Amino acid sequence: MELDAIPQPELEQIERIGGADLVVGILGDKRPGENCTAVAMTSEVLAELSKPLRAMVVCNNGTHAPAAAVAGDSQVPGIFTCSLPPPSPGESQQQSISNAYRTVFAVGGKLGVRACGVIASQSPTLTRRWIYRLVQPVLDLGFDLVAPCYTRQKMEGLLNRSVLAPLSRALYGQQLQNPMGPDFGLSGKLLQRIVAQESTRRRGAERSPLASIASTAACGGFQVCESNLGVRSQHPTDWENLSSLLAEVLGATFLEMEGRAAQWQSIRGSQTVPRLGQSEAPQPDTGSTVDIHGMLESFQLGARNLQDVWGLILPPTTLLELRRVSRLPQDQFRLPDQVWVRIVYDFALGHRLQTISRDHLLRSITPLYLGWIASYALEMQTAGPAEVDSRIERLSKAYEDNKSYLVSRWRWPDRFNP
Amino acid sequence: MWDQVGQALRLSMTKMLSQVASLLPGILALMTALILAALIAWAIAAILRRSLTGVDFDRRVAQWGFPAMAEWSPSSSPTILVTRAVSAIIIFLGFLVGISAFDGALPSQFVIRLFAYLPDLLTAILVLVAGSIIARFLARSILIGAVNMNLQYARLLSVGVKWLVTVLAVTIAIERLGIGGGIIRLAFGILFGGIVLALALAVGLGSKELVSRSLERETSRSSSSNLKEPVGHL
Repeated sequence: MELDAIPQPELEQIERIGGADLVVGILGDKRPGENCTAVAMTSEVLAELSKPLRAMVVCNNGTHAPAAAVAGDSQVPGIFTCSLPPPSPGESQQQSISNAYRTVFAVGGKLGVRACGVIASQSPTLTRRWIYRLVQPVLDLGFDLVAPCYTRQKMEGLLNRSVLAPLSRALYGQQLQNPMGPDFGLSGKLLQRIVAQESTRRRGAERSPLASIASTAACGGFQVCESNLGVRSQHPTDWENLSSLLAEVLGATFLEMEGRAAQWQSIRGSQTVPRLGQSEAPQPDTGSTVDIHGMLESFQLGARNLQDVWGLILPPTTLLELRRVSRLPQDQFRLPDQVWVRIVYDFALGHRLQTISRDHLLRSITPLYLGWIASYALEMQTAGPAEVDSRIERLSKAYEDNKSYLVSRWRWPDRFNP
Repeated sequence: MWDQVGQALRLSMTKMLSQVASLLPGILALMTALILAALIAWAIAAILRRSLTGVDFDRRVAQWGFPAMAEWSPSSSPTILVTRAVSAIIIFLGFLVGISAFDGALPSQFVIRLFAYLPDLLTAILVLVAGSIIARFLARSILIGAVNMNLQYARLLSVGVKWLVTVLAVTIAIERLGIGGGIIRLAFGILFGGIVLALALAVGLGSKELVSRSLERETSRSSSSNLKEPVGHL
């Protein structure tokens, strides 16, 4: 794990401190002119907890110059601060969060903390309550992992809803709304396990610690819960770079899946985990409409041009089904759950077998993903929160039901090719 | 007179038979060399095939980023492609050894010139192989990228780039072999220019579409700046 990103004076300060109970990482972007209130919020959280604790606050937004950090020591007793430099120019948001996560974990490991809370969401959503809800279950209730649970509109968190959450549920047997966070609370025990794991199996920057937190907890028998955090504000969708986002997130997920193949193949079914805190009701829709036509166009363009590429990854039955679906008129367009689930499983297998370059493989899923969004949007046009939940539950069940397909193809990729 | 004709025929027959007799050892040597080379090629190919299968060569080739190699081999297996290539080279070397066994200046010169030509031939083959792999890789990258950018001309762009790289590789290979001379350069210039023009047109038309779409998006975004972006992924 990386401590190199931390400036030398702050590194010396960490050495001097020796140990702490809690490390809080605030990794979200800071808007110009916005004050970083992380130290004040952490101080309030510490006051609310049952025992007096020493905490280290790591900020990703360059708000704390080393001088300020030293000043911070004297101003708020029991709280130390250190800052990470701003991300390098060519770094994507996901890479920058992954690197920052590594550094926070390294600081936590070095200080031997009992708990770690990391908030990577944008700063407007950051509140004292979020830090409290992520670290309190670890410190007071003995949980090892506190995963976030956000209040979302039906068209938010779609990659999570369509792939990450149901795939994680089918593979590792735990029903988490956001297995890749990005906001987490971890126990010292789990943090040390992840630090040790990362140092032994690092394979370049493509491996993301975010993808391995939930799977490590599930496969290692750690106590997992979810915490309701409320509404999370996000960056607006960058449609031009959607394929890069998919490549980064799915690449990390598939790599993690490959590394844990021996464990997930023996897991059957899934279980709910305790959900703490009051959930907030989602705000009513703003009335804006989704560009379903544009998404369908992308899907159809992909179906016309990418058959050769998909043919190297997907079995003939899926290709036939995609061709059929691409000819449907907009009002009848639906991508069946089984087809979508098998597509995701086949892409995971193709990623493992490297049938084509991994970058090509991950980017070529973009039109399929847009097809899924279009199908979901058409289906959920007039749906309320309960219907959305039941729709996602049906999809998650399809992932679980088709796990035997994944296991068969994973074990015998050449022999089992429907 | 008939005696003289008979003597002349006998003399020419003796001369021809003695020439054939002088060629026989060479032919025998050529056949022996070919048979020996074929046996050696068969043995080496068998060992090579077994070793490559043992180290899972086909999968490794795909992992090293050369999945296109599988498409050239008749049985879609890089292992068979490599073993057949090695066998062919050994038999060819055996043929050259056999040819040089003939007594005479012509075969020796032929062999010397052939050996001098070999490095150019190998370079040309290498250029063709590398060109084909690069062409396929670039074509696929561009196809996927263009589809993701919603360009209707995605396939045209991809095919254009593939042919651009292939034409370049073939021209370099032919020039290396010293075939054609000026005509090849001229033909390359015309072909390359034609493909670049076609691509420029395609990119121009595609960009027009792209620019108009992004302008439309900007306009709709500014006109509905109060609305929240409805779709989120993570």
